[in-house]
Amino acid sequence: MRAIIALIFVFVFSSCAFAQTTEERLQELEKTMKKQEQSIQELKALQKTVKKQEQTIEEQRKLIEQLTAKTKLAPPPGAPATARAPQTAVAEVQQQVEELKEQVSSVADAQRQTIPSKFNPAIGLVGETIFSYRSQGSEFTGSDRPGGFDVFQRSVELNIAASVDPFAKGYAVINASADPVTGEAAAVVEEAAIQTTSLPCNLELKAGRFFGEFGRLGYIHDHELPFVNRPLVLDQYIGGESMTDGAQLNWLLPIEHYVSLTAGVGDNFGASPNLVAINSNGLTNGEYRPINGLVYFGRGSTSFDLTPDLSLEPGISGLINPHALDRNGEIALPNGTPETLPQYPGSTLTERERSLEGVDFTLSWKPLRSNQFESLIWGTEVLRSGNNYDVLGAGPVFSRYVNSYGMYSYLTYKWSREWSAGFLFEGVENAEDNLNHTFAYSPYITWATSHWNQLRLQYTHTAPNAESGLRPDDAVYLQWAWIIGSHAHGWQQR
Amino acid sequence: MKSNLIRILSIAAIAAVLLSGGPSPAYAAKIRVVTTLTDLADFSREVGGDLVEVNSLATGVEDTHGVPMKPSFVPIMNRADLLVLVGFDCEHAFLPALLEASKNPRIQIGKPGYVDASVGILPKDVPKSTDHYQGDVHPYGNPHYILDPVLAKTAVGNIYNALAELAPQHQAEFKRNRDAYLAKLDAKIAEWKKQAAPLKGVKFVSYHEHWPYFADRFGMVYFGTIELKPGIDPTPRHIEELISSMKAEHVSIVLREPQFPEKVPSQIAEQTGATLVTLPIMPGGIPNTETYIKMEDAIIHGLLAAEQARENAHAMK
Repeated sequence: MRAIIALIFVFVFSSCAFAQTTEERLQELEKTMKKQEQSIQELKALQKTVKKQEQTIEEQRKLIEQLTAKTKLAPPPGAPATARAPQTAVAEVQQQVEELKEQVSSVADAQRQTIPSKFNPAIGLVGETIFSYRSQGSEFTGSDRPGGFDVFQRSVELNIAASVDPFAKGYAVINASADPVTGEAAAVVEEAAIQTTSLPCNLELKAGRFFGEFGRLGYIHDHELPFVNRPLVLDQYIGGESMTDGAQLNWLLPIEHYVSLTAGVGDNFGASPNLVAINSNGLTNGEYRPINGLVYFGRGSTSFDLTPDLSLEPGISGLINPHALDRNGEIALPNGTPETLPQYPGSTLTERERSLEGVDFTLSWKPLRSNQFESLIWGTEVLRSGNNYDVLGAGPVFSRYVNSYGMYSYLTYKWSREWSAGFLFEGVENAEDNLNHTFAYSPYITWATSHWNQLRLQYTHTAPNAESGLRPDDAVYLQWAWIIGSHAHGWQQR
Repeated sequence: MKSNLIRILSIAAIAAVLLSGGPSPAYAAKIRVVTTLTDLADFSREVGGDLVEVNSLATGVEDTHGVPMKPSFVPIMNRADLLVLVGFDCEHAFLPALLEASKNPRIQIGKPGYVDASVGILPKDVPKSTDHYQGDVHPYGNPHYILDPVLAKTAVGNIYNALAELAPQHQAEFKRNRDAYLAKLDAKIAEWKKQAAPLKGVKFVSYHEHWPYFADRFGMVYFGTIELKPGIDPTPRHIEELISSMKAEHVSIVLREPQFPEKVPSQIAEQTGATLVTLPIMPGGIPNTETYIKMEDAIIHGLLAAEQARENAHAMK
């Protein structure tokens, strides 16, 4: 795993480092500075052009008013026959003037709508409500939502995005959702990041709080998932959405085939499984943080057009948390091999290091002609979680490694612009105890009245094994998600 | 172990340097043009001639607003010198994300390589409000101006300007190509106007709002759309109202763009006695329409045939 992360870093950084000397870099910097100056000049020129256009429109308006006034002075209907020919000509001119007036008005309207908002960010709001029934209470499902009938306002998500300057864009996603226990709403900054738009060497740098690139659905917001709930394996191994405070560098390989490599570093990744202990004593903030007190992650993905309508997008991801926050792992016999990994009665586990690797693919059939009305998507992701523990007990301290696997696979068929349906299969071994596993089966159907209004009905049968201490559960969910304002189709939603 | 690691890292570093070792010689050979739609690709080939290598994201059969975002487009856009787009927000569903993924500063908005073919076009149907109550509305006006061959000439001119600015050493050749193509187009426009004379005043509906510019050019009456609003499928009530108003106003043609399902247009045609005709919205949309001129030919002939069929049916009654 470390080797993979190291390779990605070397791959990304070496391309520029090897290709350029310091002098060349300085020259490039100078060039970039000149380009920046040029861009500023261009913007200023653009401003001047807009002002000129406004002046032109105003002049045209005045001209039209003058022409209209003149035509009104023309002889009225019913004038002598000798005046009829000029009258017809005047009517034609009047009609042309009216047409011109209409055209100028339409342009002026368009300008009025766009120019005043030019420096405002695009703003959108997403709402998402989940109505559900679960046959078991939370003590038997492990969920933070209650059993029985439940209504949950999962998201009220404010999206804001705009260019920062010619070299970067900024965006923020602020989500307010109700606390499962108290019901009180709390706003959380899910993302607030700056992203470069003009780095050389096909590089793109993102910094701030963002969803780090890991896997296929890890960095997709809940309301954009193809089904109601985040897959169990992503919840358990990542801790939900892949939120991190850090930086991420993406490199598009300069070749004719699409290959994208991403490497990132953050203070945490997702939630509980990937929280970081600041030092070897497991102490927290305020203390000195060594380099291994951060989480490192990376992803590589590519794509193949098998036919014009059929494409395959495979990817690999990796994450290493060299200094995981201790979660007091369960006493268990990992991988069924107690002989090689003995466990003493009464001993405890202290989590030390954690790694996560994943492979994923998405097979998409989207007929070019009717892709808005018909498609078939098959997405699958398999993850391996590795937890390294110190075993503390009666005997000497020794390490123990727990390997756990989890996966999800879904198939969604769309047969009209409004309707689609699919099936999701999930299986996951607990990351701290790989004898504890759960399977889940979820058929779902979606009705989208438009891009911005969607209802989804899903049934989920969850079947945990005895080791988990949980009970089989049947649940029905009705998700209603809507969007107002700006809504961009991001690269991830392809 | 350590030496193995060093070996692997060295190989990776060398591979990275080789892969990113500067632009390939092909950059210098031809100007690389990427267009969103096939009509713009045709214009770019006509103006650029042998000096350009043109790729279109759409193949011609897609909906103009729904070209699938394929990762394979990204390297093509990454290497492009020019990106030619329709403008008026026509490509809003797929182009912004692809532009960001392309990591090509030469073709980003505001750069000389970003060629908006709509510059100089007066838009029709500029909405008073951009609320989604109006559907997937275009805030700058209807973007389907290229179906009007006179306005298409403006797009050709914009492509010429961009090429001449990018490669002034070839300006004379681009000008020669442009003038030759515009002359050919002018001759065809005169021919189409003559051919389309019987279509004057003919009322028609289409699935999506593709045709206001075309209808105005050839004197047709664009009666309405089968879609409830842009991007919103028709409701039963809308279909019912459309059918009754089409009957009352003697609308004679139902024009279906091939990207949309046939069922509803077919039902409407059947119930109103109008003729159903399937016509392309960009070159390649139906067979034998590989170029813009062939496509316009197919549209004019298709509409004439539809009107003739309706008249024959009427005469037989």
